[in-house]
Amino acid sequence: MSGRGENPVAPAIRVTDLTVAYGDKTVLWDIDLEIPKGSMVAVVGPNGAGKTTLIKSIQGLLPRVAGVISIHGKSYEKQRKEVSYVPQRGSVDWDFPTSVVDTVKMGSYGDLGWIRRPGRKEHEKALGALEKVDMLEFAQRQISQLSGGQQQRVFLARALVQSASVYLLDEPFQGVDATTEKAIVTILKELVGGGKTVLAVHHDLNTVSEYYERIAILNVGLVASGRVEDVFNSENLMKAYGGKTSFFPERKAAKRAV
Amino acid sequence: MLEFAVELFSDYTARTILLGAASLGVVSGVVGSYAVLRKQSLVGDVMSHAALPGIVLAFMIVGVKEQLPIFIGAALSAVLAVFVINLVTRNSRVKTDSAMGIALSVFFGLGLVLLTYVQRMPDANQAGLDKFLFGQAEALVEKDVLIIGLTGFFALLVVGLFWKEFKLLCFDPDFGGTMGFSMKSLDILVTAVIVSAIVIGLQTVGVVLMSSMLIAPAVAARQWTGTMGSMVILAAIIAAVSGVTGVALSAGFENVPTGPAVIVCVSVIAFFSVLFSPNGFFTLKLKDARSRREIKKDYVLKALHDLALEHDDPGYAHSERLLALGSEKGFSVKKSLWALRTAGYVESVGEDNWRLTQSGIREVKKLSPLEKDL
Repeated sequence: MSGRGENPVAPAIRVTDLTVAYGDKTVLWDIDLEIPKGSMVAVVGPNGAGKTTLIKSIQGLLPRVAGVISIHGKSYEKQRKEVSYVPQRGSVDWDFPTSVVDTVKMGSYGDLGWIRRPGRKEHEKALGALEKVDMLEFAQRQISQLSGGQQQRVFLARALVQSASVYLLDEPFQGVDATTEKAIVTILKELVGGGKTVLAVHHDLNTVSEYYERIAILNVGLVASGRVEDVFNSENLMKAYGGKTSFFPERKAAKRAV
Repeated sequence: MLEFAVELFSDYTARTILLGAASLGVVSGVVGSYAVLRKQSLVGDVMSHAALPGIVLAFMIVGVKEQLPIFIGAALSAVLAVFVINLVTRNSRVKTDSAMGIALSVFFGLGLVLLTYVQRMPDANQAGLDKFLFGQAEALVEKDVLIIGLTGFFALLVVGLFWKEFKLLCFDPDFGGTMGFSMKSLDILVTAVIVSAIVIGLQTVGVVLMSSMLIAPAVAARQWTGTMGSMVILAAIIAAVSGVTGVALSAGFENVPTGPAVIVCVSVIAFFSVLFSPNGFFTLKLKDARSRREIKKDYVLKALHDLALEHDDPGYAHSERLLALGSEKGFSVKKSLWALRTAGYVESVGEDNWRLTQSGIREVKKLSPLEKDL
């Protein structure tokens, strides 16, 4: 199935010369990145490397000093509906007075446009997405009563409702239980299997090879990007993390071989 | 009291005033919910205080106490205060709370200075300008109520139209932004709606206490409800009831300004809600105490079971003192034993000895299925 505005040859995401600064602090420096269609990509890097900033500025949420973003060959502004966003779970107030199903419904607001309210169709769609993340029984629950893993599932369901072709996730596995992590990975892999593109900020270097095909290693500048087996090595990680990581992919691979 | 109420509602002037107070309540309850949900309660406080210099300046320019110029002046200086806060926080290292504190005191201070100055003028026109401090609903005439109603209607219309957009703005503005909604425009719209609620509350409640009229009903409503829709409606009802009650109080007693009377009503409701709602302070404490009692009971039951096991005799009775020994200090075993006896799980033998009943043994088995059989 081809999405609404997909150009078959252009990469799903193309970032050219992206530079972002807060005040006099450069957060992202001259990033060039191409994410091929149908791939599952991890964005890794130390704290303050600009991972969240990258996700946000791809979507025009932050002013950029320079840079061009294109989604399937067209500018992001024209391709908004092709992009789903799962923000960091901690970025919102989970005490907000609303139910799980109403939160998921927010994913349909973009298609509805200004003023029009969600109706029966949007409700069904939200329930469908909740079923997918195995949260259907919680549909009427207050979001304040959810556990961390459940919150993350609700956020993913909200993104699924957007029925986009590119998924941007900011630390989807942050503080969730092992079952939820597995469930989310399964859903993301399904999406990729269906030709969608997934870009996720990821923290746990141990699971990179297991979950992702491609990786972008970031530390203000782009250290490396490409297939996990090609660029996910200690040399690149040293460049990004300095001496602050004890994780060496080669050692792990060797262990697995034994 | 009833006579007083009948008189109040049958009198034309009184009806006008009450209608004004009720409409103001509905609008400030609805609009205030947004201030609270966006965690901008204090911005409402700053804006209402900051309206004062605008009111006085408008009067100084026009020369008469005309409504429209005063409303415009109030709105402009309230908005200017928000602008100053944003300017300061963006361009200096001053944090938002400090910036708000500064803006509030500077604007309100300036307003008081101007007010004092104007009141010393030999002219009589300015009389009653100080009523904007604490409000005077008695002075409301039909025209005022009409303006309150119209402005309020437009504020509610905006809230109704942009219901889902405002929800995004309050809950997850970044996400809303990615879907193409301009969060900046929505932010301006919400601020405009809040300012209009403040402006129409000036005469009735006054600049000093108007912020409570925005915040308290929303806070009270939040305690009882779990969805935004019900919260907004309940806040409107609470604020309207408080408005009417406050106005009636101030009419019934001499020298009670309306603003404080209304705010006392709404604060009582807010206070009660925070303490006694299903998630309130006392309700949670009560639940806590109940579950602690249950745990204690189970503990004592289990202890009796353990002792009986040691003696290998289900009917072996132990003194309360012995049971208390095995537990921490201040742990009252007596109450738990009484409760267990009422439940039929234990019985007393002789003066101070206790033992499990058959149903008590079954209960232990139910609580911890892995327990050894007696």
